[in-house]
Amino acid sequence: MKTMRREPNVIPGFGITLGFTTFFLCAIVLLPLSALVLKAAGMDFARFVDVITSPRALASYRLSFGAALVAACVNMVFGFALAWTLVRYDFPGRKFIDAVIDMPFALPTAVSGIALTTVFAGNGWIGQYLEPLGIQVAYTWIGITVALTLIGMPFVVRTVQPAILEVQRDLEDAAETLGAGRFYVFRRIIVPTVLPALLTGFTLAFARAVGEYGSVIFIAGNMPMKTEITPLLIVIRLEEFDYAGAAALGCVMLAISFVMLLAINLIQVWGRRRMMVSR
Amino acid sequence: MSIALDQVTKRYQEQPVVNDVSIEIGEGEFFVLLGPSGSGKSTLLRAIAGLTGIDHGRISLHGRDVTHVRARDRGVGLVFQNYALFRHMTVADNIEFALRVRRMRAADRRARRKELLKLVALEGMDERLPGQLSGGQQQRVAVARALAHKPQVLLLDEPFGALDAKIREELRRTIRSVQRELGIATVLVTHDQEEAFALADTIGVMNHGRLLEVGNPNDLYTQPATRFVATFLGAANLLLARQSADGIRFGATPVNAEGPERVPAGREHEVVAVLRPEEVEIAGAREHLSSNYIAKGAVEEIVFTGALERLRVRLLDEPSAAMLLGPGGANDARLEVTRTQPERRDLPLQTGAQVALGARRLHVLPTPLSSFLACAPTEAAAAALANEPLLAQLSTNMKTRVVLRSIAQGPEVTGSPLPFTGVAAISAGPDAAKTVEWLLRNGANEVLVLPRNAPSPTRVFIHWTHEAARRATLAVSASLLRHVSAEAIYLGIVPEGPPGAGHAAPMRALLDARSEAQSSHGLEMRTELAIGETVSELTRTLSSGAAQMLVLGITDIEHAGTAYRSLLAAQPGWPVLLVYRSGEPQLRAEAAA
Repeated sequence: MKTMRREPNVIPGFGITLGFTTFFLCAIVLLPLSALVLKAAGMDFARFVDVITSPRALASYRLSFGAALVAACVNMVFGFALAWTLVRYDFPGRKFIDAVIDMPFALPTAVSGIALTTVFAGNGWIGQYLEPLGIQVAYTWIGITVALTLIGMPFVVRTVQPAILEVQRDLEDAAETLGAGRFYVFRRIIVPTVLPALLTGFTLAFARAVGEYGSVIFIAGNMPMKTEITPLLIVIRLEEFDYAGAAALGCVMLAISFVMLLAINLIQVWGRRRMMVSR
Repeated sequence: MSIALDQVTKRYQEQPVVNDVSIEIGEGEFFVLLGPSGSGKSTLLRAIAGLTGIDHGRISLHGRDVTHVRARDRGVGLVFQNYALFRHMTVADNIEFALRVRRMRAADRRARRKELLKLVALEGMDERLPGQLSGGQQQRVAVARALAHKPQVLLLDEPFGALDAKIREELRRTIRSVQRELGIATVLVTHDQEEAFALADTIGVMNHGRLLEVGNPNDLYTQPATRFVATFLGAANLLLARQSADGIRFGATPVNAEGPERVPAGREHEVVAVLRPEEVEIAGAREHLSSNYIAKGAVEEIVFTGALERLRVRLLDEPSAAMLLGPGGANDARLEVTRTQPERRDLPLQTGAQVALGARRLHVLPTPLSSFLACAPTEAAAAALANEPLLAQLSTNMKTRVVLRSIAQGPEVTGSPLPFTGVAAISAGPDAAKTVEWLLRNGANEVLVLPRNAPSPTRVFIHWTHEAARRATLAVSASLLRHVSAEAIYLGIVPEGPPGAGHAAPMRALLDARSEAQSSHGLEMRTELAIGETVSELTRTLSSGAAQMLVLGITDIEHAGTAYRSLLAAQPGWPVLLVYRSGEPQLRAEAAA
């Protein structure tokens, strides 16, 4: 390319960095994924379809995606409220809460799963009060949702926080002098401004929840057809030395993950176009 | 009146950021609030819009008291410095926002939008997003949006701040013509004096939360009343001159100017005079000057700025050079001069050239506080006194100088009996009263008694013992309060009398004092009434809180030494500014008038 101008850059060596990036991507991401697809391709199509559409598999998809969807929705609402509080108000302990948000990132998922189970089990701190009311959390889909909410929360808060920071007070003040009430301002000014970030956060939390394994298996109870998530089903297949079956289920997860990542990117492109920043 | 503010005060953490501001803005008037950043002008604008609550005072729009009305019900249009457009909405949706809120029919909304876009010269831009417009266009949209609901008042908060010079001028013209066409009362906030001159019918200058002066641009420029306005509106040289019964002298030369108050024979006042750079005449020799000679000078710096030439000239005559006030004190004070191209052609100058300087027009400020004279037994003690936080703050804010003078304090006060000019400053203590007496006898008119490390006051109490000192005390207080951000409170003291003795007269005096402060000195103050003996009531009031200060007007030197001894000796104490005016000549003058 003759027209490409050489401009000094902070990180030198375009060739080296591109080569490194490509190598890294191949070795760490693409190669294992190809192996997965190849393994699944090893079985014939009818069996492949059979495996991924077995009632037990379908039930696990339903549970995995259903619980993840509910968890992501809960996170969208409360994550927004949490981010709003952290950005807009100054109160003692704000820094502390801000740091605690990241805890689910750092905590081994198994630990949070065990902790949640302890709290929500029939004789746990919270479970013992919920049980008499007929609400069983641990070992039901509610428990799974609780675990997934915990895991997904930081994604929403961390993506929405900068977006809220960008909503200038002036915008709200302007809307107020133009005669808008608080709810109107919220609906027409704040939500549309924050929406792209909120959707990104939602999708990230959803994607994370779908793939979550460690924290769920402790609180789920893992009853086939009832509280068995897809990742667990994959592990069970592996333990049965049914590698092809596990790979087939893995492929389904892979396809879904890919679609969701595509969705995130499209949302971000759409958001950028809407909010073109050029002052 | 379109907009009326009455004693509006807003505090943040006890510090007043808007301090007793009263303004009246007429129908269709373009009012510009001018001040440096942090002067409280934007806070005041937000208070008018209803976005900031106020702690004290009243705001009315078109005769309706809106002090407690929410922003959205006030019917104002507000334009922000950063446009504050809704970036996810098109231009059309932005402009129609206020109409949509009011549930106007779509067809009517469209008609109004077209009308507004025509007004700000943005026809056909309806479907653009703000991000696709230039800064100037965005601000036009913001103006159109603010006018959509036909507000009674248009408020503009530094609307040109983010724009470059050419677009700024163009938009300025648009706003002015829109404002004229609609005849809407408008308040614009800015720190740019050029902008203020270009737009304003009336300018109000703010500093430290106070509204210092209000007037039309020309009057404020040619006859400012305060040194802040003099130096903030355009460039100004500040000079210290002497006023006596014979007239005004600068250094040794008499100059042609009017002083603010008559001076009794035998006494002398120091006054502050404003000399605009364009009013300085430069000639090769004194004989060639057509105006009043003021000093000889040496040209230090010449800057060519296109239409004008700017010079900085060092004064060479010793007595006059010391009378020039500079931003960093008298040492680096230089006379600023501007010359037009024809003047420049007549007398080309190089740096280092010796010239004679004349003043075509000199304006004497009516401020009674000119400079400070730190008096202490030794030079070192005087220097320490000059560095006291309050005195340092005052001299910096007043852009004036502090001269050190050593006088022996004690039972027998001695020192050179030179005429004392400016405000004498001494430290508080058991001997302070004696020193005050000696200073007053030797020509000082104002004495500031400073306790060690006294903080900048947040409340200044004003009191005078005799009506003859009223005018001077108010003038001094007004001048002082322009340079510290504190609340002013007039303390009326009524002697304890038999029950039933009428308090009507003192109450009337209280109200008179307030209205005189407001009308003649531009000082907004509150009033308090105490009953009892003067000194003990003053002491009680001053001890009631931290960071308080007293301005005390007296007419009797004899009194000062004995009566106020306890007031001036108290530890930790409070700053006291004594204002002395000998009673009789003043009274006679007032009787004659």
